[in-house]
Amino acid sequence: MKPNHTFTAEQVVAGYENKTVINGVDLTIPSNRISVIVGSNGCGKSTLLKALARLIKPTSGSIMLDGKPISRYPSKQLARIVGLLPQSPIVPEGISVADLVGRGRFPHQSLLGGWSKKDYEAVAEAMDMMDITEFANHNIDELSGGQRQRVWIAMAIAQQTDILFLDEPTTFLDITYQIEILDLLTDLNRKHGTTIVMVLHDINLSARYADHIFALQEGRLVAEGNPTEVITSERVKDVFGLDCAVIPDPVSGSPMIVPKGRYHAS
Amino acid sequence: MTMTTSRPDNVSSSVAFIRAGRRHRQRRWMLVTGTMALLAAALCCAMLILGNTIYPLDQVLRALFGEQIKGVSFAVSTLRLPRMLAGLFAGFAFGIAGYTFQTLLRNPLANPNVIGITSGSSAAAVFCLTVLQAGNAFTSVAAVVAGLLTVVVIYILSRGKIFSIGRLILIGIGIQAMLDAVISYLLLISSEKDVPTAIQWLSGSLNGSKMNELPPLVLIVLIFTPILMILGKHLHVLELGEQSASSLGVSTDKTRIALIVAAVFIVAIATATTGPIAFVSFLAGPIAKRLVGNGSYNLIPAGLVGINLVLAADLVGQFAFVTRFPVGVITGLLGAPYLIFLLIRMNRKGEL
Amino acid sequence: MSNVTVSNGRRPSPHIPKHFYTVLIVSLILLGTSILASLAFGSRSVPFHDLINGLFRPEVDTYEANIIRKRISRTVFSLFCGAALGVSGSLMQAVTRNPIADPSILGVNTGASLFVVCGMAFFGMTTASQYIWLAMLGAGLTSIFVFGIGSLGRGGATPIKLVLAGAATSAALSSLVTAILIPRSHVMDQFRFWQVGSVGAGTWGSVTTFIPFLLVGLLIGFLTSPALNALALGDEAAKGLGVKTGTLRLIAALAGVVLCGAATALAGPIGFIGLLATHLVRLLVGADLRFVIPLSAVAGAVILTVSDIAGRLIGSPGELEVGVVTAFVGAPILIILAMRAKVRSL
Repeated sequence: MKPNHTFTAEQVVAGYENKTVINGVDLTIPSNRISVIVGSNGCGKSTLLKALARLIKPTSGSIMLDGKPISRYPSKQLARIVGLLPQSPIVPEGISVADLVGRGRFPHQSLLGGWSKKDYEAVAEAMDMMDITEFANHNIDELSGGQRQRVWIAMAIAQQTDILFLDEPTTFLDITYQIEILDLLTDLNRKHGTTIVMVLHDINLSARYADHIFALQEGRLVAEGNPTEVITSERVKDVFGLDCAVIPDPVSGSPMIVPKGRYHAS
Repeated sequence: MTMTTSRPDNVSSSVAFIRAGRRHRQRRWMLVTGTMALLAAALCCAMLILGNTIYPLDQVLRALFGEQIKGVSFAVSTLRLPRMLAGLFAGFAFGIAGYTFQTLLRNPLANPNVIGITSGSSAAAVFCLTVLQAGNAFTSVAAVVAGLLTVVVIYILSRGKIFSIGRLILIGIGIQAMLDAVISYLLLISSEKDVPTAIQWLSGSLNGSKMNELPPLVLIVLIFTPILMILGKHLHVLELGEQSASSLGVSTDKTRIALIVAAVFIVAIATATTGPIAFVSFLAGPIAKRLVGNGSYNLIPAGLVGINLVLAADLVGQFAFVTRFPVGVITGLLGAPYLIFLLIRMNRKGEL
Repeated sequence: MSNVTVSNGRRPSPHIPKHFYTVLIVSLILLGTSILASLAFGSRSVPFHDLINGLFRPEVDTYEANIIRKRISRTVFSLFCGAALGVSGSLMQAVTRNPIADPSILGVNTGASLFVVCGMAFFGMTTASQYIWLAMLGAGLTSIFVFGIGSLGRGGATPIKLVLAGAATSAALSSLVTAILIPRSHVMDQFRFWQVGSVGAGTWGSVTTFIPFLLVGLLIGFLTSPALNALALGDEAAKGLGVKTGTLRLIAALAGVVLCGAATALAGPIGFIGLLATHLVRLLVGADLRFVIPLSAVAGAVILTVSDIAGRLIGSPGELEVGVVTAFVGAPILIILAMRAKVRSL
């Protein structure tokens, strides 16, 4: 099992050039659990995730890992603890799947020299987990969208970080693949205890797969807690501006929203 | 891709499966790289043997080791050896610098030729050659400085809100048009006797290479090649995009600057020595990639392809036609159709 | 631009842009000034009274007066070339619906160069009236080729694709030009004279050769401008407005090629005038081609003439080719356009 980490954000303000998107967020990420950040478009979900994963520098506030600001960690050392799967990763042309997954081993490798035994094992394990080992020696260009997404996740897994951030890992995928990816991520969490933090668009899927939900509105954290506490019809109206009923999901028992709309109400 | 697709059932067999695939790719890499090195060596020999008079290899070798053989010694040591060495090092330099740019910017079109760096160095070199009548070392330094300046200007202009390769290329082409205008102006104001030298130099030529002109090029190539090799893994990670790279622990800005500075040094010094040999920096990377595949670090193969292109084109230019063509004309004739082909392919796939 | 008023009961059908008259008057004043300057300045500057003598007193036969008379034909020629290139740029931008379509960027100049070189090298052509047709053919074929490559794939001809296709084609063709020239030193001299010739080679002979092409091109440009306005809304919208888009494109593009091909054949390759003139004019009077096209003609004429004067002054005692000056002044427009463009529209 992965070790326990305390990952906290204090009064984080972040944004781009002259636009502040995140406006003073305090949070503590529950270790070894799955957390999901929800909120309407433009509320700053992705920006918050990027700030937590040190892709953008907060304008003020601090982000601490085990009591030390993440900016003070050497970048390679941090990359062995915290990983991120970007929303739209870039595919180099003509590279084999195994080599691509192997690039996730960068923080564990020396500058020169090939793959160690550990590298091979990490890659193989990640690929087995994502069920893509059979494609190991195929060209990445030959894979479908869902398969590619699994390759990217495998790369992030091969990085063997204790904490993994994912920016909308299921966008552009069919519903079948969305469920498959979320199941695989849950496997990763249950088997290895990897702390997972992700941004998801779909509230119902968030409620089902999350152990902990962060609700964001206009750059501020407005609610957090387990899905049953956070997902209520009042809050969905607040955060998303959507009138809805909340019922228990018939499959999982997690809260499920049913939008009302202006027509069709009985 | 004729690997078996049967599914291994546990981690150790997966490891074996993945390892076998990597071995297979590595073997191909070694084979191709070795072949290209041999080919380059053969072309080097041909450069020494062929000429107005063809000397046998043993005489050439004896002359190289300092024995005085009438006729042979002068032709080989004073004329052919510097020409061969200039082609060797410049070809390698153009190849690795082009590869670095193309990989870093994730676009085969983003090479020093297209985005105007070569023009920057050329303008500075022409200025030194014609107006200042400056010596070799000074010209080299000026070419490097101008190359770096050009990169800085292009980078600042193309930064925008979101960095875009397309914008960088457009701006590079604009800068190039301006620099070419500057070169024309310099040619106009320079004295009559310097113009032919400058024009020949501008089309990229190994003619009249002299031994004492080579040290800066050799030195820079020997210093920066290891640096680029060490940064190879970083470059591979940068290829995955800004976000993936920084989450994998690469300080993207520093690495990018180091790579660009190294590549500009190399390409500028090569340009100052032989003139801009058209399209070598553009062709070498994609050809190397085609030959060895994209999984491994193709810096050295790209450099070898560069050597082979320059030496082969120079031999063709010298001996294949009645008139002697400078090497740059031959590489231009080869490279331009390939550029068009590449564009057509990229457009079809919607990559631009 | 849509503040159409109907208060006085008369529909302002041409709907003249706000600053049109100001711009027109200013540009005509600039035109006049540049003509005078072009006559007066050069590698040898001529005092004002000699200028008057040269212009209006044919009986005066001083050295200065003769210089002035030579400069007259040169000036007229540069005005015509500039007008042709300016309108050609506007037409090509309208036809391709692409802000960076300039003959030089589309590789048209090198296309014309290649054909002219072939004419000189293989068919022994020596005079401009012989290779004007070749230059036009070269210009036409190259622009079709470049536009063909640039519009392959998703999104049609985006600026970046078009520029790259043009640059690649130019590189390919100029390698060919060099390869043809190197073994033939006599053609090399002739070609260099043509290439360097710029507007300095403009004689009354070249002016007369040029006039028919210029008139036809300009006329087509003016006549097609309303339909081209419709084309700016997109092919489908234009069809909906009853425009035969295919025919329109063909005719307007042909006019553009005739204009720049003829100018290139007579003056040698001159780049970026179309880009510079058209964008300057659009900045001042907006996008309505009925005004953009005529004003581009004036702007092109002014820019080329001023560039020619600059080339004479900078290059003194020799001359700097006007194409070099226009490239230096015009290329920044490309850079600015690239800087302002939204990433996705590249």
